[in-house]
Amino acid sequence: MSKTQYAQLSDLVEPNPVKHIDPKALLGHWINSNPDTNSIARINITEQNGKLQLQVFAVGPDGLIDWGVAPAEVFAANPASNKGAGFTCTYDFGFAEARFQAMIMKGLLVLAQFHTFKDDSKRASYFLREYYSMTHEHF
Amino acid sequence: MDFKQNSHLHPDLLGPAAANLNPDKLLGRWINTNWETRGIAECTVARDGDDITVDITGVGEDGPIYWPTARATPLANLEEEAGQRTMAMTATFDLGFMRADTHLRINKGVFVIVLFATFLDDSGRANYLNREFFYRDA
Repeated sequence: MSKTQYAQLSDLVEPNPVKHIDPKALLGHWINSNPDTNSIARINITEQNGKLQLQVFAVGPDGLIDWGVAPAEVFAANPASNKGAGFTCTYDFGFAEARFQAMIMKGLLVLAQFHTFKDDSKRASYFLREYYSMTHEHF
Repeated sequence: MDFKQNSHLHPDLLGPAAANLNPDKLLGRWINTNWETRGIAECTVARDGDDITVDITGVGEDGPIYWPTARATPLANLEEEAGQRTMAMTATFDLGFMRADTHLRINKGVFVIVLFATFLDDSGRANYLNREFFYRDA
């Protein structure tokens, strides 16, 4: 372990290779807790061929806008864990890029969005943070 | 103007406040609220000309670990809860064996670092995320 490189003590874990981070906790249909959002209303998260993927539906002036499907990277809660606790994902629209960093906290999906414009509109890059609940049929 | 969600059309994105983001509230030395952390001990945000730099010190076995300085990307913060509009930042740290993608912001006076660590070596460690809280060094 002494030869293992690390940036903080939490990086130091017993060598027990994590071959696959189980994304089970992330999979499903997530809906924004804020019905008045001007941003992403729903996120569908699925696993295809062992890879996480997102489909995003955002609020537009004339209804929901389907952003299509994008691949995502799964992250665990610590370097020894094989349970998915969050993800990163990027949508490139050409005129703009939306990057996500998301984590599950107390059953909510907390989604941080970073929007950068690549066109000549002079719009500022901006940040959003919103909360999503997984829809279910338990009650 | 192209858009993919209503917030892409938010008028404040073209306003003077967003065009001239003021990082003053983020500048300074921030200390982890958890003195038993096994993660980030402290963080310093500074100006470097027109740029903003972020220095992080990790907790090591034999003392502090100084991460390479990263340049931050400032972001307007449009809709933070409770009407807070302090800017946020992203910063990526290249540690060779690991990349740490972070976002940093202030929530009610507390400095928050959210970290997504991706291992680039063959150690078999899982990529992981972490969130820690910091107070301003007086």
